[in-house]
Amino acid sequence: MSFGFIDILQSLIDGILFGSIYALIGLGFTLIFGAMEKLNMAYAASSIGGAYVGLGLATLFSLPLFLVFLIGPIAAGLISILVYLVSFRLIPSTNHLGSLMASIGALFFIDEVIIHETQGSPLTFPELGIFAEAYFMLGDLGFRGDLIFIMIFGLISMGVIIYLLYYTRLGLATRAVSQQNVAARLCGIPIHTINISTFVLAGILGGFAGCMAAASVGVISPLLTIPITIKGLIAAVIGGLGSIRGAIIAGLMIGGVENFFLLVRGVNERDIYVFLLLFVFLVLRPNGLFGNEINRD
Amino acid sequence: MEYYFGILQNIGFHTLLGLSAYLLLLTGQLSMAQVGFFAIGAYASGILTVIYGVNIFLALGVGAIIASFFAFLVGFPALRIKGLMLVIATIAFSEIVRLYFFNLRWLVEKDGVEVGPDGAQGFREIRYFAANGWEPYHIVSFIWIVVILVLFALWWLDRVKAGSVLRAVGEDELAAQSSGINLTVVKVSAMTGGGFIAGIAGGLYAHSTTYVDHNSFTILLATFAVAYPILGGLKNVFGTLFAVIFIQGILIEGLRFLGDYRNLLFGLLIILVMNFYPKGLINIPIFNWSKLVKRRDL
Repeated sequence: MSFGFIDILQSLIDGILFGSIYALIGLGFTLIFGAMEKLNMAYAASSIGGAYVGLGLATLFSLPLFLVFLIGPIAAGLISILVYLVSFRLIPSTNHLGSLMASIGALFFIDEVIIHETQGSPLTFPELGIFAEAYFMLGDLGFRGDLIFIMIFGLISMGVIIYLLYYTRLGLATRAVSQQNVAARLCGIPIHTINISTFVLAGILGGFAGCMAAASVGVISPLLTIPITIKGLIAAVIGGLGSIRGAIIAGLMIGGVENFFLLVRGVNERDIYVFLLLFVFLVLRPNGLFGNEINRD
Repeated sequence: MEYYFGILQNIGFHTLLGLSAYLLLLTGQLSMAQVGFFAIGAYASGILTVIYGVNIFLALGVGAIIASFFAFLVGFPALRIKGLMLVIATIAFSEIVRLYFFNLRWLVEKDGVEVGPDGAQGFREIRYFAANGWEPYHIVSFIWIVVILVLFALWWLDRVKAGSVLRAVGEDELAAQSSGINLTVVKVSAMTGGGFIAGIAGGLYAHSTTYVDHNSFTILLATFAVAYPILGGLKNVFGTLFAVIFIQGILIEGLRFLGDYRNLLFGLLIILVMNFYPKGLINIPIFNWSKLVKRRDL
């Protein structure tokens, strides 16, 4: 296998652009962790589930296909509420293990519902309209239009979330709940409403990421959920759990590393290196890139 | 009869996997790496018997030692992180192992046939038992002797000081540390012990199914492994055994007539149990004789 400098640069660019999807999923994990100090393992599954609902409704009522990208995120938000109710609402907040296991249960449940409804075969997913055809050239380097759109969306949503968290009353309440649960309740903050709104926000982001992932690959399949879950989690951990910009940067980095090793070592081995990257970080920087943002007792 | 032997074997492997996760849960570590150690044990002992023609007992032992060595290595970076981060790190470890075996090709010609791990095709022809004239009931009893030995060892562990040390670390790390317990030693040795048990389980699994591939070692199996002790509760080892019998024997085998819906039920079951019994299904200390004695004293 031979490749020049330009190939490496091109693959890094493609990877970083595709990494926006991991960044968005990692952002969702980090948001929920930041609010509740819990991992919602069913998060990527509900994102893909939302994309499926969008696709299903659009084909059922023969709606224009761009509506998939509108229905998908909303459906993912609704599925997230359901996941919150079954895996987090009733389990005592001190029992981290319990809600972790319950959300893994929800992950398998959503996956199996999808497999059951589609007989396990992947479906074709509509492309992202004009963005899919757009392809920019800069010298010898190409940029895929749809991936650039996802990346811009990811950066905008990061900005929106930072605004929501740090400049609104809702954000103030969310941070209060995450810092001192009991004190927040004593101040009259309805913690379940706050948690649900975090879940809905994360779910909408995830639904969008799920639709985008399916659109940029061209097919949607329940096989997407586990890799996206793991890579999103890795993005959240490398960025430092709870850190918003960390998740975005780490997600883009994972995309770049993944595509670089795809070029160098082939499709079968690339994920090994992504996972090894996590271990490198765990040994050298266990708190992640920006892990010191949230300090708790 | 073959069918029931199959179920018994299956319950045996899953019990061993569950027990290896149980040992780690005692120290408060939720590890999804057990399936990685299971895979290492399976491939290592399979390679030993198939390619090097080693005796099964030796191969199982060496496979388990190799698995526990990797567990030892994983234990150190895992020390620096806790709880949810450990879950993610161990998931990544299991996936690295799975992908490594997915890419491993090590074919050797034996008697005109190519044997050994063949990448995505899996590792076929691990035929030690058949080649040495073991009957199915020999295999089942061998597996269950190992299961009972491990069960007994862990039950005994709870009766000696080491068990209390493990539980002390699991209950409150800070308090354990301040009473002079060396966290590093405790956690790494629990990890190593768990790796050893999972390695034996892997070796037994590879030899009794005669075929393994990377699909046998997914995150789903890792989830099963930690689900058993969590469902069964950490009061004693028998909780894990009952949870395995309940899930593998009753739910998975008993509900075969449901077909596709059975898989839906599994996720739902975890959710329900966690909501209604967050501390595990079996919380009654069934074999705690000391309590009876105390009551008589009063």
